[in-house]
Amino acid sequence: MKQLLTILESIKPGVDYENCITLIDEHHLDSLSILSLVAEIEDEFDVVIPTVEIIPANFNSAESIMNLITRLQEEE
Amino acid sequence: MQYCDMSYLLLFLPLVMLFYSLVTKEKRWIVLLVSSYLFFYLLSGKLLVYLVLSTFSIHHFGLWLHDVEQVGKKAMEEAAKEEKKRIRESMNKRKRNVLILGIFVQIGMLSLVKYLPFFCFNINQLFEFIGVNFRIKQYHFLAPIGISFYTLMALSYLIDVYRGKCIADKNLGRLALYLAFFPQIMEGPIARYHETALKLYEGEKLHYQTVCFGMQRILFGLLKKMVIADRLNIIVENIFSNYATYNGGILFLGIIFYTIELYMDFSGVMDVVIGSAEIFNIALPENFRQPFFSKSISDFWSRWHITLGTWFKEYIFYPISLSKGSKKMTSALRKKMGNHFGPLCAGSIALLCVWLLNGLWHGAGYHYIFFGIYHFTFILLGNVLEPLFLKFYQITKLNRESKSIHIVRILKTTVIVFFGELFFKAPTLRIGFIMFKRIFATFTFKSFTDGFILKLGLDGRDFIILGVTLFLLFLISILHEKNISLREEISKKPIYIRWLCYYVLLFYIIIFGAYGAGYIPVDPMYANF
Repeated sequence: MKQLLTILESIKPGVDYENCITLIDEHHLDSLSILSLVAEIEDEFDVVIPTVEIIPANFNSAESIMNLITRLQEEE
Repeated sequence: MQYCDMSYLLLFLPLVMLFYSLVTKEKRWIVLLVSSYLFFYLLSGKLLVYLVLSTFSIHHFGLWLHDVEQVGKKAMEEAAKEEKKRIRESMNKRKRNVLILGIFVQIGMLSLVKYLPFFCFNINQLFEFIGVNFRIKQYHFLAPIGISFYTLMALSYLIDVYRGKCIADKNLGRLALYLAFFPQIMEGPIARYHETALKLYEGEKLHYQTVCFGMQRILFGLLKKMVIADRLNIIVENIFSNYATYNGGILFLGIIFYTIELYMDFSGVMDVVIGSAEIFNIALPENFRQPFFSKSISDFWSRWHITLGTWFKEYIFYPISLSKGSKKMTSALRKKMGNHFGPLCAGSIALLCVWLLNGLWHGAGYHYIFFGIYHFTFILLGNVLEPLFLKFYQITKLNRESKSIHIVRILKTTVIVFFGELFFKAPTLRIGFIMFKRIFATFTFKSFTDGFILKLGLDGRDFIILGVTLFLLFLISILHEKNISLREEISKKPIYIRWLCYYVLLFYIIIFGAYGAGYIPVDPMYANF
């Protein structure tokens, strides 16, 4: 989780990633941030995030992003 | 028959509700399907065959994708570990080929009726330019109403089945109802299979509350459409038809009026559509969220025609910007150019594709393509200049989130939208540029003060009705922007206040609606796309 929080902070600083559950809904992360985030997660966690997983529910909080990473790692 | 016609509101819709209530739960979906096909037939006659063909093909390709996956999965279960990877790759390749074929059939039908003349015209122009003495014969096919909408819905279903996001539907009737549901077949909203298909098939009985809510929503839509859009139509058509005779001030007024008309017409029809579906307890996705409170063009497109924007984002933007090549580009550029400009390159390529297709989706014409590129340019500029803006606010110590800055940003966005709609409405790109140039070359404030605007088709009474109604709608929009639902607030009031509100709304439309002699209702603009 710490690694993910560091990535998020590096992509868009100044957001309370530990508590925010509306990262997409409140536009804290826009489309360009998502592109950076996906590229960074794939590099750091060695997973491939399919396009079908790019939905608000998977990116609205650090926890949901972490759950997505864990699920993809397990599937691989 | 259109959604705001009395034949729809007082005959078609009540009859569907009646038959829907009379049959058993299991047969209600049949009532909806038959009425949807009847509605389509009344609009497009024999062109119903396109919808039927499209439905059969989508049903077939969905099941084909399902079969390929089932065969592949079964083979993987029995195979050794090393063999599994090869089977999966082969299965994915087959699925991709089936998907491409399915998309080709859908796009092929759409292109045949919508883009073939445009394509032939351009090829012939090219032949003429390079001196080749050969011309392609131009065929014109009649396009069924709403083809662009149900094609996008059909494609989303097929891609979702391919991605495993929904299971291929074996029930042809359920799939047919999802594609043809009469409230949305003409102008959307573009719903996804998982959003409406199962609920439509369920056949839930009519509830007092949802019927009331649906009817209120329909009335609200009629207010926008009949009191404002249909009234403004007179002056807009006059200005755009005689653009060469008016000065820049009047033309500028024309594009403001057209933008208001377009919004009131499209969002008004959406209220009627969503209200009609709500009567049957079907929640269609919203298409508008106070677009004229947008602080940037990017923000505007997340509030205007939302379901179209979402469709392009999910099925064009992300697949392109997250393709293998784009991801590599983003990773490499991020290291060199940082978090902002790194993803901007791949993102911009995807965005350009989105806006080219968005323009073409609206129609086969260069002014539509320009309309797409126009918005792409402003979104791109917004993205590129964002760090500069941030620095500007830092240096000047201005608060970007203050009300005054918000108002300035909203005004800037609105003016950009006005000029975009000029090219959207202009019959050709050339005329669009002529009007654009005239606005600046011959602009004078005198046009607003010398009483000339009262000679353009609307009198003082019309302008007072427009002003009062727009002001009321503006207040309602402020409430909605603050997440206060006026409808829910009214529903909490005592029964006599509630009914008083409904009657006031109804009589307001009857008294101040622009119908009858001297008024021409706006054509259902989006139905022709």
